[in-house]
Amino acid sequence: MNVLVLSGYGINCENETLHAFEVVGFKGKIIHINDLIQNPKQLNNYQVFAIPGGFSYGDDTGSGNAMAKKIMTNLYDQLTDFSLKDKLIIGICNGCQILINLGLVPSLNKKDPEVALIENKSGNYECRWVDVKVSNNKSPWLENISTLNLPVAHQEGQFLIPINLLKSIKANNLISLQYIDHHKKLAKGQFPFNPNGSKDDIAALTNQNGNVLAMMPHPERAFYHYHIPNWQSKTLKKFGDGYKIFMNAKKFFA
Amino acid sequence: MTNTIQILSIEKTGKENSLRKEYNNKSIKIIDGYFFSTNLDDQKFTKISKLISNDVSQTILTKKNVNNVLSSYSNFNWVVEIKFLPGVTDNIATTVKEIIKDNLKSSFKSFELGSTKIILIKGRKEDITKISKNEANPLIQTIKIYPFKKYLNNFKKNQFKIEKVKLPKKKYSKKEINLDISDHQLSLIGKLGIEENDKSRRGTLGLDLESLKAIRNYFSTIKRKPTDVEIETLAQTWSEHCKHKIFSAKIDDIHEGIFKKYIKGATEKIIQLRKDNFCVSLFTDNAGGIEFNKDWIICHKVETHNTPSALDPFGGAITGIVGVNRDCLGFGKGAKPIANTYAYYLADPNKNYQLYRQKNNKDPMLPANFIAKGIISGVRVGGNCSGIPTPQGNVYFDDRFAGKPLVFCGTVGIIPKKIKGKLSHKKKANPGDIILMAGGRVGKDGIHGATFSSEELDPNSPVSAVQIGDPITQKKMSDVIIRELRDENLYSSITDNGAGGLSSSIGEMAKESGGFIVNLEKIPLKYKGLYPWEIWVSESQERMTLAVPPQNVKKVIKIFNARGVEATIIGKFIKKEKAIVKYNKTEILNLDMEFLHEGYPKLNLKTSFPKIKKEKKKIIKKSSLINKLHKLLSSPNIVSKEFIATQYDHEVQATSIIKPLQGEGRVFGNATAIKPLFYDEKSIALSQAAYPQYAETNPYDMAGCSIDTAYKNLIVSGANSKKIAILDNFCWCSSDEPDRLYQLKEAAKACYDYAVAYQTPFISGKDSMFNDFKGFDKTGKSVKISIPPTLLISSIGVVDKISHLTKITPDDGDILLVLGATRNELQDSVYSKIIGYEKSKNPVVNSKDTLRTYRNFEKANKLGIINSAIGIDLGGIGIAVAKMAISSKKGLTIDLKLKNKISVDQFLFSETQSRILVSIKKNNLANFKKIFKTSDCTIIGKCTGSDVIEFKDNKKIMRSKISDFAKSYKQNIKGL
Repeated sequence: MNVLVLSGYGINCENETLHAFEVVGFKGKIIHINDLIQNPKQLNNYQVFAIPGGFSYGDDTGSGNAMAKKIMTNLYDQLTDFSLKDKLIIGICNGCQILINLGLVPSLNKKDPEVALIENKSGNYECRWVDVKVSNNKSPWLENISTLNLPVAHQEGQFLIPINLLKSIKANNLISLQYIDHHKKLAKGQFPFNPNGSKDDIAALTNQNGNVLAMMPHPERAFYHYHIPNWQSKTLKKFGDGYKIFMNAKKFFA
Repeated sequence: MTNTIQILSIEKTGKENSLRKEYNNKSIKIIDGYFFSTNLDDQKFTKISKLISNDVSQTILTKKNVNNVLSSYSNFNWVVEIKFLPGVTDNIATTVKEIIKDNLKSSFKSFELGSTKIILIKGRKEDITKISKNEANPLIQTIKIYPFKKYLNNFKKNQFKIEKVKLPKKKYSKKEINLDISDHQLSLIGKLGIEENDKSRRGTLGLDLESLKAIRNYFSTIKRKPTDVEIETLAQTWSEHCKHKIFSAKIDDIHEGIFKKYIKGATEKIIQLRKDNFCVSLFTDNAGGIEFNKDWIICHKVETHNTPSALDPFGGAITGIVGVNRDCLGFGKGAKPIANTYAYYLADPNKNYQLYRQKNNKDPMLPANFIAKGIISGVRVGGNCSGIPTPQGNVYFDDRFAGKPLVFCGTVGIIPKKIKGKLSHKKKANPGDIILMAGGRVGKDGIHGATFSSEELDPNSPVSAVQIGDPITQKKMSDVIIRELRDENLYSSITDNGAGGLSSSIGEMAKESGGFIVNLEKIPLKYKGLYPWEIWVSESQERMTLAVPPQNVKKVIKIFNARGVEATIIGKFIKKEKAIVKYNKTEILNLDMEFLHEGYPKLNLKTSFPKIKKEKKKIIKKSSLINKLHKLLSSPNIVSKEFIATQYDHEVQATSIIKPLQGEGRVFGNATAIKPLFYDEKSIALSQAAYPQYAETNPYDMAGCSIDTAYKNLIVSGANSKKIAILDNFCWCSSDEPDRLYQLKEAAKACYDYAVAYQTPFISGKDSMFNDFKGFDKTGKSVKISIPPTLLISSIGVVDKISHLTKITPDDGDILLVLGATRNELQDSVYSKIIGYEKSKNPVVNSKDTLRTYRNFEKANKLGIINSAIGIDLGGIGIAVAKMAISSKKGLTIDLKLKNKISVDQFLFSETQSRILVSIKKNNLANFKKIFKTSDCTIIGKCTGSDVIEFKDNKKIMRSKISDFAKSYKQNIKGL
C-alpha cells in the first residue's frame, strides 16, 4: 500500500498527512508537483493520492484555483484515470479546494468545476474544532463512522452549489460530512457549529464512486488523543477521530 | 481588445458583509481587478480570465455585460479604486503572472500587471471618502474616487492604467564623496543623506558626526576618498539596528556595556554554574539554540518591527513575521520553523488620537484601529500562509503607544544536532565558497530600513522604508533549504537577508572566511534602474545568502530552480580580510573587514536618576465586588483575545498540545505548548510577559516582574525548571536622554539578577531604542509621544512528559489554593487604572521565596497531585478565579479569610507576583501540605460545580453566574 502526498507552492500539511498514513501501515512519499509533472508515470506506483492542506499560491485568485489550473494543464488526464481505478484520492482543506476546483468532486457533469468554495460568512479565517456527522456510507473513507470531532482552519470553506446541482448531489448521496451542533443535530448554518456558513452544513463531498473525498476539516490534526482540545479532562484512547479515516483507507486495500 | 480583467463574486463576500455592516450601507460591491500593460485580444482575454476566476461563484465583467451585471446589484454612483504604488510588492499580481506563464506558456512575451481592488458604492461622497480612508493606506496605495459613470466609460474605452516603476535612465559612474568639509556639512550627510548631482539628498544615513569623522580618518589613512557605496555600507553596518551601540557602549562606570555585563554576563555565569549541555548556541547566530533532546536542538528568536508597522501596519507586521522565520532558517545550517509567537502593544483602537507628522494637519498618523487591524492581519497572513502554527501571543493597550505601536514577532525552530556527522549549529563560509543569493528579487524595498529604525519617526522619515512580505515565495525557498539541501550538506554556511540586505548578510558571513568579493551587476532585479548602492543595501524580502562550495553550486541552483525558486551566483568568499564590491568590473567598495565591523566610535553614555511620575491618586468608585470583577474582566487588557487565536492557525503541523483557548469555556491562556516530534513525548512550552505599565515607577522591578511571569507561566504549564531559557526584547524610548538610560540600566541589572537567581539563561535578544513620535496634534501644537519602556521577556521550555502538562480547569470537589504570599501591591495595576486606588506599592519579586514556591509546585506536579493551575497576573486572584470558573464552567466558592491586614480588594486584585492558583483533589491535601511546608500556601475555597462564583466575606455572600462573567470576559474590544 503506497500513498503519494503532494507538495509544493505553499502546500504545507504534507508531513503530518504522510505521518498519519504511515502509522496505519502505508508506505508513502512526499512528491513535489513539479516532479510529478516531470514524471507522471510514477502515479502507477501508488494506491492513494493525497492533496494535503496549505496555502497553495497564497490563496490568490481563490483558494485552490491556481494549483488546480496547474494540475488541469499538466496532469488532468492522469489524475482522472487514477480516480476511475480502484484507488483512493483525498483532498484535505486546501486539497479539498483543489479537488473541487478541478471538478473531480462531485464530478457529475465531468471536467468543469460545478461547485465553489467561497469565503466564510464571518469574513474571518476560522481555526476551531467542529463536530461533523457522516451523512451516508457512500465513501470507503468514511465507512463505519457516525460522527467525528475535527479541527477546521480556513478562510474559504463555504460550499456554494447551484440549486439544481444540489438536488442531484443529494439524490446521489454525495454529501459526505455535515456540521452538527452539541446535540448531534445539523448545525443549520449556526455559527460556530457551522464555521463558514456552508449550505446544508456541508463539510465534505465525494464523487459518484465514493473513492474521491474532498473534506474541509483536518483529520491528520486530530490523529492522536493529545490533539483533542482539553484532552486532559477526558478519558481517551490513544488516537483521535482523524485516525479512523486513515484506517479506513488501509482497510479498503486489506 | 481590453487591458483589464475584472471579476466579482455573485454572492456577497465576507469582506462585503463586514463593510456593509461597518458603514451601514447595503450598496457595496467589491471587484477584483487586474490591469495589464498590454492589450489582450479576445482569445487571450477569455483564456486568462477563465484561469483566474471561478465559473460557479464569480462573474467576469466584459464591455458587453458590465452595465447589466452591475445594475442588478444596485444603483451605484461612486467608485473607489485602490491599487499599489509602483514598486510595492503585489503578491496577487505575482501569482496571476505565474498562472499565466504556467498554463499559457509561450503565447505571451513580456507584460506587466497590477492587482486592483475596486469598491462600488451608492452613497454620499463624504461617506465614500471616509470609507476609502479606512480601506487603503496612501503610503503604499493610490486611491482614486470617481463617479460610477466614469468607471463605465473607463471600462468601455480601456482607460484603466497600470503604473510601472519608472526610474530615470541613468548610467552609473563611480561617485566619490568628499568628506573634507565643515562639521555642519558633514552632519548634513548623516542626517539627510548623500547629495546627488542635482543637490537632492538620498535620505537619512543615521550616522552621527563622530562616525563620519571616523570614516574621514580611515580614508585619509588609506589616502583616497570614499565612494558612495562605502558610506552607505558603513551606515548600514554601523546602524543602531545592526550594531546595538547603546547596549555595547560604556555606560556610567560599566565599561563593557550593559549587554556584556548584564545579559551575556548572566548567561555566562549560569553556564559556569550549571555545567550541562542545555545551552548550545547563544547570541552569535540569528537565533539562540538550546537542547531539546539527545538528537535535536530548538532555537528561538523574537524581533520587533515597530516603525514599519506604524507606517504600513499590514506590510510591517507580515514582514516582521516572515522575517523572523528567516532567522530560524538562518540558525546554524537552517532550522525548520515550528511555531510563531506575537505580542502587540497598541493604542486604544476606539480612540481618535489625530496626530500629524507635519504642521497644519499634514501627513497624518494612521488611525489607531487601522493600525491594530492591519498588524493583526499581517501576522495572520504571514503565519498561516507559511504553514507555521501561531499558538502563543498577547495584546496590550495603552495610550502611550499612539505614536508608535510595538510589534513583536517570534519564531521557534528545530534542527537535528548532527547532519551527516557534523554539528548542525556550527557553520563556516570557507575561502573559495561561492556566494549564492536565493529567493526573491531585489527592488527599492525598504531602502534605508536599518538606518531609519535607529531614528525617531519625524517628518523626514523616508516612506520608501516599507516592505511587504511574500510568504509563498519564502515557503518555496524554505522547503528547498530544509528538505533538500541542508541534510545533504550542500552548503557550508547560511544566513538571512534582513535589515541592511546583502551589505549586512554578506558582511557578517564573511567574518567566517575572512572577506568577500561581490559583483553587483549579477543580482537579479525586480525592475531596471537601481543604483549599485541601492542593490547593495535593499531590504527586499524572502532572500537567503548561502556559502556554497564550488563543486556543489550547479546542483544547488538546479534544485532551487526545479522548485520555482531563483538562485544566483553573486560573488565569492575570500581569505583576505577585505570587503570588495564591484559593479561591471569597477571596484566601488574596498574596505578592511576590521574597520567595517569595528571601526565605529564607541559611545560613552551617562545616566541620571529620573523624576518618578507618580500615578495620580484616584479615589475608588463605590461599586460592588461583583461589579468590579465585571469591569476588570471586560477591560481591554484582560478581556479574551479569542478573536485573534481563532484567526491564527495554531493546529498546522499537528503539534498543538496545549492550545491558546483553554477549557470548554475557552479562556485565552498564558502559555501554550507544542509537541514537535511524533516519536518523542517531550513538548515545548512557550510564554511571554512585559509590564510597560510598571516601568515608570520602578524599571528594576518592572524587569523582575517580566522575567518572573514569563518563567512562572512555563513552570505552571509543566516545564522542567532546568530546561527553561528566556529572550530579551528591549523597546525603549529617547535613549539619548540620561533618565531613560538610567531606566535601561536598571532594567538590565534586574535581568542579570533574576536570570542568575532562576538559573535561566538569556539565549537571544534584540533592542529597539527610539520608539518616540515627534509631530503635531490637531491644533498644530508640537507633541512628543514616547512609549513606556517595554521589556518583553519570551520564555521557552521543555516539558519532559505529556503527564506533566497542566490544565486550568478544576473539577467538582477540588480544593483551591493560592501559592505564594499576597501583598498590597496595587500600584500601576489594572485595578488602579479601572477602579481607582489609594495608597499602595508596586509589585516586587523576591526571588528566594518565589523559587521555593516554584520548586514545590514542580515537585507536586510531577507527583500528579496538581489537578489544575493558572498563573496569577493582571487583575490578581479575582481574575484568576474568574478565568478558572469560565474555562471549566464549574462554580467556585471563595472564602475571604484575610491575613496581614489586607482588604478584600487588595486581596483579590493586587498584582503581587510569583503566585499560582491551583486546585487539588481533597484526598491529596495532606500530601500537598507536606510538600508546601517551605513556601506560602493558602486555602481559599473550593470547586462546587454549580453555575455561580461565590465570595464569602464573613457572613456576607456575593455571587454571580459564571455565564455572566463569561459574557464580560468575551466582550468585543471596541474599535476592532
